[in-house]
Amino acid sequence: MPAPQSDLLQGTLDLLILKALTPQELHGMGVSRRIAQITGGAFDVKAGSLFPALHRMEQAGWLTSFWGESETNRRAKFYKLTRAGKKQLQSESERWERISFAMATALRTT
Amino acid sequence: MISRLHALWNSVFRGKLLDRDLHDELQAYLELSSAEKIRDGMSPEEAYRVARRDMGGVEQVIQRVRDVSAGVWLDRLVQDLRYGVRTLAKNPTFTLVAMATLALGIGANTAMFSLLDQVVLRLLPVSHPERLVIVRETGNHYGNSYGPNTISWPMFEDLRDNNQVFSGMFCRFPATVTIGDADRAAQIPAELVSGSYFPILGVGTSLGRPIAPDDDAVPDSKPVVVLSYSFWRSYFDGDRTVVGRTIDLNGHAMNVIGVAQPGFDGVELGAPAKVFVPIMMKTEMTPHSDGLKNRPRRLSWVTAYGRLKPGVSLQQAELSLQPLLHGILEMEAQQPEFTRNTTEADRRLFLRNRIKLLPGSDNELREDMRRPLWLLVALTGAVLLLACANLGNLLLARATAREREFALRLAIGAGRARIVRQLLVESLLLAGGGAILGLALAFLADRILLRIYLPAEAAAEFVVSPVPDVRVLAFVIGVTWLTSLVFGLLPAVRGSRTEISLSLKDRSGALLAGGISLRRMLVGIQVALSFLLLIGAGLFVRTLRNLQGLGPGFPIDHLLTFTINPSLNGYSDQETKSFYQRLNVNLQAMPGIASVGFSAMPLLKGYAWQNAVLGKDFEGAPIEEQPVLSEIGPDYFATIGIPVVAGRAFTAQDVGPAKYAVINQSFARKYFPGRTPIGQRFGLVDEMEPTGPDIEVIGVIPDKKYRDLRETPPAQAYFPYLEGVHFRFMNVYLRTQVDPRQIEDELRERMLQFDPHVPVVELQTMDEQIGFSLRTERLVANLSAVFGGLATLIAVIGLYGVMAYVVMRRTREIGIRIAVGALRSSVIGMIMHEVFVLIGAGLVAGFSLALALANLVRSQLFGLNPRDPLTFIGSAVVLTLAAGLAGFLPALRASRVDPTIALRHE
Repeated sequence: MPAPQSDLLQGTLDLLILKALTPQELHGMGVSRRIAQITGGAFDVKAGSLFPALHRMEQAGWLTSFWGESETNRRAKFYKLTRAGKKQLQSESERWERISFAMATALRTT
Repeated sequence: MISRLHALWNSVFRGKLLDRDLHDELQAYLELSSAEKIRDGMSPEEAYRVARRDMGGVEQVIQRVRDVSAGVWLDRLVQDLRYGVRTLAKNPTFTLVAMATLALGIGANTAMFSLLDQVVLRLLPVSHPERLVIVRETGNHYGNSYGPNTISWPMFEDLRDNNQVFSGMFCRFPATVTIGDADRAAQIPAELVSGSYFPILGVGTSLGRPIAPDDDAVPDSKPVVVLSYSFWRSYFDGDRTVVGRTIDLNGHAMNVIGVAQPGFDGVELGAPAKVFVPIMMKTEMTPHSDGLKNRPRRLSWVTAYGRLKPGVSLQQAELSLQPLLHGILEMEAQQPEFTRNTTEADRRLFLRNRIKLLPGSDNELREDMRRPLWLLVALTGAVLLLACANLGNLLLARATAREREFALRLAIGAGRARIVRQLLVESLLLAGGGAILGLALAFLADRILLRIYLPAEAAAEFVVSPVPDVRVLAFVIGVTWLTSLVFGLLPAVRGSRTEISLSLKDRSGALLAGGISLRRMLVGIQVALSFLLLIGAGLFVRTLRNLQGLGPGFPIDHLLTFTINPSLNGYSDQETKSFYQRLNVNLQAMPGIASVGFSAMPLLKGYAWQNAVLGKDFEGAPIEEQPVLSEIGPDYFATIGIPVVAGRAFTAQDVGPAKYAVINQSFARKYFPGRTPIGQRFGLVDEMEPTGPDIEVIGVIPDKKYRDLRETPPAQAYFPYLEGVHFRFMNVYLRTQVDPRQIEDELRERMLQFDPHVPVVELQTMDEQIGFSLRTERLVANLSAVFGGLATLIAVIGLYGVMAYVVMRRTREIGIRIAVGALRSSVIGMIMHEVFVLIGAGLVAGFSLALALANLVRSQLFGLNPRDPLTFIGSAVVLTLAAGLAGFLPALRASRVDPTIALRHE
């Protein structure tokens, strides 16, 4: 399982986090688990990449956070998409789709 | 409001995350992670270990999060700065006006504060200057005195040897000496110092050694001199071999033993000494006036300083010195020098004299400049306040104009905090730019101010540096921050509150009502402050006018003056007398000169020679009422232009032994009331050689000023200098037929040929001399006029801005009014009504403020009351006209609104 290459894939990680948080708010572990789930286990986001990204995105105004209770009744910090985050997800997904389509086309061309 | 500000602060400046929160968060992650692994079948210990390993260490993760946060913060700052610069550049008029306003406010304040700091507040550059005090004897000294801060030499010795409160005492006497030889003779300020001077001040030398107690033990024994560092650099080009050489002071060979440490120019700030000589060399340095060897107690001339012992306060020391002084006074009161000329009443008064301790950095320049400089600092403070109000107004106007932009940015998802930050960054940029410009302005201004304030020579030497120091910089940065914070935050808070839908829909929404009333208030404050400053300007300018218009009572044009002192070259009394007589003849022969007058005392320079007089009915008058005296040459009155109203003036034949005097009318009224003064006799009280009333009055002149322009002419008596025995200074006055400035160079040349050894000092026209004596008044008048003018300009611009905005907002309403038949003149009336309400409110506020502050400036005025109605009314009229005009332009525009266009306006 390759860890995300942060240089190349920072945008990818942001996009994945935004996507992971779309249906519901999650804590850090939850985000990590959800990403593994929606990518079919292709991405296992480690804490060392996850938390810096979460905090950066929070400061960018895409996420907000609050303290809540985890499923094991423990105090944990939950993240939630903001309106700006939803907009960001939308525009980034569109961009990503354009790029991946273009890349796929390019790679298929012989 | 507080919590709102707090939240704002947090969101804007959250550079530091709460690490504990992050720690908790990661701990939760670890536990959840290991719980998952336990569910998958690992043992709890193993699960926890693997979870930790996977995470890669809590601290490392925390560090990475921190790095990312800092990076984001920096990124954003750069982004904000770039955006800020771009927005400011897009609106150059606004940016220029805002920065210029701030630069003016900050520049004026920095300039004045740094001048105040360096002239009035700064302490001496010696070790522990705050422990140093001047020991002053208050009350009547009953003898000759060199000034209020002086005591006699024996008194100094008594205090030095018997006090319990000082760890040491020293004394000094400022003198002017002639340095050099025939090639380059110059008069320089010297400091005669006791042997304890350097050790007690804690001042060392950069070369050689300082004057030590040994150098100052026996009169005339040690011809040694220490140079000031700046004088060593300028006069000797920093030549290190000068130590050990001899130089000529007053014709005496003096051995240079050292160069004082850099920055130390004696203990009188503003009157830098160039050489330091042991006080035991007094006879050589000040010929004809000793005061040392025969220990006269009725001649006070040294300024005494003490260094307070650790733990002794100034008040304790003062208290403890009184019995000591009293003992000395009791002894002095027994002495014949005292009893000879005093009564029992005098004795009782004399015994009430006290010791007063002053801060060691005090001096006359400080006393003179303290009030005017504080006053100017207050004026500049008002200007800064006004500049801030104006800037606040500008920023508010801008915030209003940018509501659409903010609304747009909010709509596309920018956080409110981000917008607040953006506004703050912009105002900081403005303030920073303003501060830099202001500092440059202050630097220039201080150089100019110093040049106005001091004679060119002194300004060059003066230790006041126009470069502001750290404290001044801190002051500026503080002021800048405060300004930008207050006036950046106000619109910022408003801006961030913008309601998106409202602002995007309707630009003239009711939302802005709060903003406009705040802006009206700011304009009102500006009007009030500029009214205050205009009144100040009026008062000070008229004070200057009054002083200039008053004049000394004689024509001052075509009058040239200089000072000369051959006795400093070691010339004997006889040689000096002959020098003056030959000089008189020589100058009378000079082309372009109508007449030549000599006077031992300078005219209108603040100096006075006073002595108690005695006659049949008057004796030992207290010193304030003693007449002022001078010794003059035969043509003095004719040269100055003072007519002799009774009797005659002196002639070249009045050379003694008969003693004659010419007195003024006040003298006659005071001492010979109801009698014809001609032929009356009086005498001068002299402790050494008591005489009777042996001086005969031969002439009377009208009352003219003597010391300065402010005074009421005191009683005066003049004696022929040729009758005298001792000859020292002479002030030469030349009435010229041509412009006196034209012959200054020629005169210098002529004097050099006449005697190259004797330097000509302070050669200037009487106009220049009087101009210089009014420099404080001129400085205050000019600066307050400039500040008043600028303040008015700023206020007028502010008022125009607000009114123009009001008219713009009401365009539709005005259009409707005109459409339904309102006259254009009534529209103008409507707007002007608002204008005059604003001006009126400002005037009322300024008026009450001016009345309240009037007493603070009373002592700075001359010939008018601080509540002078003419000045108040004049200022109000000027301000109302200027501001009314500024309001009239928008009103005119309002009256020209075309209803059809106005109704389509939005």
